[in-house]
Amino acid sequence: MKKIAWLPAGLRGNLQWTQCPRAIISNTFPRGPGFQAPKNQFSTSNHLQASIAAPEVRFKNQGSEGDELEGGAVFNARLVPNSASYFTAQPIFTDDLLKLQNILKRYANLPVLKPGDAPRVAWRSLADYRNLVGETVKAAKYSKIVEVLHRLNHIHPSLMPQEVQEALNEYKRDVNPYQNQAKLGHVNTLGKALGVGRRKSSSARAWVVDGTGEVLVNGKTLTEAFGRIHDRESAIWALKCTNRVDKYNVWALVSGGGTTGQAEALTLAVGKALLAHEPALKPALRRAGCMTRDPKRVERKKPGHVKARKMPAWVKR
Amino acid sequence: MILRNVAIRHGRKALAAPIKKSLLRTITTETLQQETEAIEHSLMNHSKETHSIEANFNQLPHTSSFIPPRTNGPSSQEVKEAFHSKYQIKATTDRLGSQIDPYYQPHQLIIDPPKPEDVTLELLMASQSHLGHSTSLWNPMNQRYIFGVRQGIHIISLETTAAHLRRAAKVVEGVAYHGGLILFVGTRAGQGSCVVKAAELAQGCHLFEKWIPGSITNGDQILAKCGIKAIDMHDKEVEGYEEKIADWSALKPDLVVCLNPLENYILLHECGLNNIPTIGVIDTDADPTWVTYPIPANDDSLRCIQVIAGVLGRAGESGQKKRLKAAETGKVTWLPPPRLGNPKTEEDRKREAELRKNKRNLGLAQDSVDKRTPRGRKKEEDDEDDDL
Repeated sequence: MKKIAWLPAGLRGNLQWTQCPRAIISNTFPRGPGFQAPKNQFSTSNHLQASIAAPEVRFKNQGSEGDELEGGAVFNARLVPNSASYFTAQPIFTDDLLKLQNILKRYANLPVLKPGDAPRVAWRSLADYRNLVGETVKAAKYSKIVEVLHRLNHIHPSLMPQEVQEALNEYKRDVNPYQNQAKLGHVNTLGKALGVGRRKSSSARAWVVDGTGEVLVNGKTLTEAFGRIHDRESAIWALKCTNRVDKYNVWALVSGGGTTGQAEALTLAVGKALLAHEPALKPALRRAGCMTRDPKRVERKKPGHVKARKMPAWVKR
Repeated sequence: MILRNVAIRHGRKALAAPIKKSLLRTITTETLQQETEAIEHSLMNHSKETHSIEANFNQLPHTSSFIPPRTNGPSSQEVKEAFHSKYQIKATTDRLGSQIDPYYQPHQLIIDPPKPEDVTLELLMASQSHLGHSTSLWNPMNQRYIFGVRQGIHIISLETTAAHLRRAAKVVEGVAYHGGLILFVGTRAGQGSCVVKAAELAQGCHLFEKWIPGSITNGDQILAKCGIKAIDMHDKEVEGYEEKIADWSALKPDLVVCLNPLENYILLHECGLNNIPTIGVIDTDADPTWVTYPIPANDDSLRCIQVIAGVLGRAGESGQKKRLKAAETGKVTWLPPPRLGNPKTEEDRKREAELRKNKRNLGLAQDSVDKRTPRGRKKEEDDEDDDL
């Protein structure tokens, strides 16, 4: 059976495939559980009987087919493939590719944008496309489709034909990640902004208020809270690197981990809270390293090792 | 250290420390000190002011969504107008100047391919169909198609090419007329467009990427997901064959047109195993016995391939037209595949359902009536159920 990846209900609001005319699985061609082997291996088509020397022997109780033939009037029907791409074994993919190439051929003369200027679009991933068509399309083949889509996307928006737009929509991912806007921090009515930061196993919450540079960490001053000067500096590094130590007061709660972890969790928390006050500081804070969560954790101990990596000393026997 | 030596060793350093510069400055003048202090104060004030302004400025909402300015190109309206005016100018001035004789336009062979009647030796010559391979590469089986040798390469006889091309066109037309499935194969780079066009004209199938080995001999596995449908004599889709189609084995082509036989030996071999006739473009280095109907021509020239594929496509088109015309007069030029039978109508379905229902009811009745019912009879009933 084919696997179909469904989206959670919350994301289905602005689905783009609702505009897409194609059903999710267009290839619902039913086949029996066991395929019938062709009865006569050496005939091109079933109705060419000339090469067979004697006609087939028909027994009395052979079944329904004899009855139909006896009836005389057999309906004139023949079997043909649904698609001209039948023998490619991936008819839906091949038809899609040909359709897009045809569109491109038709609109090749339209003016295009400069390479970087086209709107950023996330095309369907390979797995998503495979789900959609129900064929095992190789990555190299799907990239041909993406190539054409990329070119079509560069047609100048003032002259973008409706047909091209529809074709592009069919291949857009359900949720466009490039439309995501980061949430801005919130400064409440008292002028407080909350930032949360984590590092190693410690987590910190910092409330930043306009002030004169007072810092309280778990009710203690910075010097009481952190013995190392380096930790003191890194706790308020976001303020220090932007020259704002004397302009804000910080009231923070830290828990978990050791002093280094707590201090560096504070870096992140204070940075985020400061960002709520002054969003334009973001590039400066990022360059100062106050925006990035350090994902490193203590590495787990493994069996056969003394610690995470350490191996017991080698003994000859 | 001996104390008396201290003065000698360290001299001035030991006895008198130098006066600090700041001290010197305080001694010199009062006014200077005041001035420096004033300047320092003003500087401090200034920096404070700027800081406060900065803070205010940073809190303004527009800094949050600030995008650095960039040099934009022409506006969208300008682009639109320029594009339309370009085509207007083109339309008005296109016919000015000298008349150009008919000349080779590469896309025309794809858009409007020649018909079998249009095949002339000039056309074949112009499309380089006479150029074979180096004499050292030849296959002696092609001797009868070769006109001569020029500059170390074999020249294919254009008359033979034309005759064979016309014969192949007849074959394609005949197969199309008799409702056969024609497969056009051209797997070399650049052959895709003409293959697709030919298949479109002849209402056949196309293949412009690698032939999947076994698509004919093992089609039930490889083409299992590819859909087929039943059509009537007017090429309209017919309902009522869904169940039969579901376990029908994969289709096989009734004719294969191969534009590059050298790369498709497996395909041709499978066709041979299944008695499927093949048409192939045979260059001087190919083996003409691989195909049923060879067309001796240059298979390395895209132009030549486009001519040949176009001609065969057009032949298929005329065959299909003739078939449909015959169908209008009630003449069916083909036989339905055996065991396909008649389509299942709604009545058939109802009757079957009723029959099944009756059987079930009968069976239930038999069960409920009595256990004394002879076993033999009941068994018969069961058997009949199984048959259904």
